[in-house]
Amino acid sequence: MSQHVSVLSACALVASAVTFGMTSAAHAANTTSLTHTAVLSGLDNPWDMAFLPDGTMFYTEKCRGLSVRMPDGTVHALLGMKGTDDDFASTAEDLFCEGQAGMMGVAVDPDFEQNRQIFVYSTSDMTAPGTNRLMRMTVGDDFTSVADRTDIVDDVQYKPKATDHPFGGPGAHNGGRVRFGPDGYIYLTTGDTHNGEVPQSPTLIGSKVLRIDRDGNAAAENTPPEGFDPRTYTYGHRNVQGIAFHPTTNTPIVAEHGPWHSDEITVLVNGGNAGWDPRPNMAGRGDCPDNYCGYMPNQMEGMNRFERAAFMPMTDFDTYPDAMPPLWDNNGWSQGTSSAAFLTGEAWGDWENAMVVGIMGIGFGGTPIGQRIDVIQLSEDGTELVDVTEMTLPMEAGRFRSLVLGPDGALYASVDEGEIHKLAP
Amino acid sequence: MKSSMLVIIGAALALSAAQAHGAEPADGEEIYASVCRNCHGPTGKGMASFPSLSGNDADYIGTRLTQYRAGETVGPNTPLMSPMAVDLSDEDIANLAAYISTEFQ
Repeated sequence: MSQHVSVLSACALVASAVTFGMTSAAHAANTTSLTHTAVLSGLDNPWDMAFLPDGTMFYTEKCRGLSVRMPDGTVHALLGMKGTDDDFASTAEDLFCEGQAGMMGVAVDPDFEQNRQIFVYSTSDMTAPGTNRLMRMTVGDDFTSVADRTDIVDDVQYKPKATDHPFGGPGAHNGGRVRFGPDGYIYLTTGDTHNGEVPQSPTLIGSKVLRIDRDGNAAAENTPPEGFDPRTYTYGHRNVQGIAFHPTTNTPIVAEHGPWHSDEITVLVNGGNAGWDPRPNMAGRGDCPDNYCGYMPNQMEGMNRFERAAFMPMTDFDTYPDAMPPLWDNNGWSQGTSSAAFLTGEAWGDWENAMVVGIMGIGFGGTPIGQRIDVIQLSEDGTELVDVTEMTLPMEAGRFRSLVLGPDGALYASVDEGEIHKLAP
Repeated sequence: MKSSMLVIIGAALALSAAQAHGAEPADGEEIYASVCRNCHGPTGKGMASFPSLSGNDADYIGTRLTQYRAGETVGPNTPLMSPMAVDLSDEDIANLAAYISTEFQ
């Protein structure tokens, strides 16, 4: 082995020690022991899962499409994307993947037993230059096909061209999580597409959490500011990929990617502004590459994360004093926070009703990569952070893209590497 | 620009020489596991914004790593790749190129 690797390893050890030193003060001791089962492996960027009460699991792969794993382990490939040939029961040639874009979130209708409906969010080129769409489909009686596709949201922005930014390729920042809330509405999270105008725009529906009914109509109870798209539940986000509902208060809470700093967990308020505004020539900033300041200053090189946060805050309280305050900012790091769920059921012991957040890991400019699942314990009313514990994993960590609590009470975790894991207390 | 090209050409020649003298895929595997795997994945097929490495020959991998090491802007992931490549030796690059080109077909 060359000297270089030894140096890198030493650096990694130092980084680990620093991380441990920092987190040991904030994180409680982890005394749990989880069992692990590999549910599926060899997948292509599995993005999300949704369960029926009997354990039937729908799942998406970003560049492949929608499939379902039956309780006996049989897998049916339901809806393929462009380029999957005849691998799926049917193929939608308008669905494609590019960079971070592709087939993303999936949710099962709470009334599935009656209407057999599922909802899937995917990138589509049906209209130029492409959009992200939320599709409603009906699952066949034998779970081998889907039909009756209806695009209930067809106008979420998509980034069609590369820009001068880190991760600047096409397809950036689509949000992508789809969940039914306890109120019976669908919550869809979207992203800023590296476009400075999107987050605070009243009419562009990127950078929002949308709350809609099964037909895509705005929830009547939404209270966005005047002039906003009525589907808007909250706005001013960067790229929300995690949303979960507090098990006792039913309040939606999001987990969100930071730029080169500050991943955030935020309790949503109907009509609230998350305070992300990466437009140039405002809040003390000048021009920025391709009119997006999201990674500035010094966007291509590492620097102190707190200096970055002061220049381009994830939540800009100076400009938006009433912005929704984050509960947690990941100690100022950005490490690829992606998904969120709540652990319910007595089997989770002290972690019952705690939130879990999946972190994919981004090693840039001295940031510890940080692939892990964090257990976020909140106050009883879900409004304050009590503790953060890094889950001791019974398997190797990975890029944790999706966390979903299964009907058996176990936590299911997909990683970009291609596995869906089951973690049981 | 001219001088940086000369540096790259020189490095590429040095790399070819290293390959000619027998790169060590096993050493490349070790570097891959510690430096590359978290983003490009255990089988090199890429994840999210991080591209697949499959199907590339050793010359391509070696040339790209040499460009990243030299600070050349190659694509939108350059700021992520350059810090990873900056301390790689010619031998490291040759070993990595040998491993990636043979393992991820």
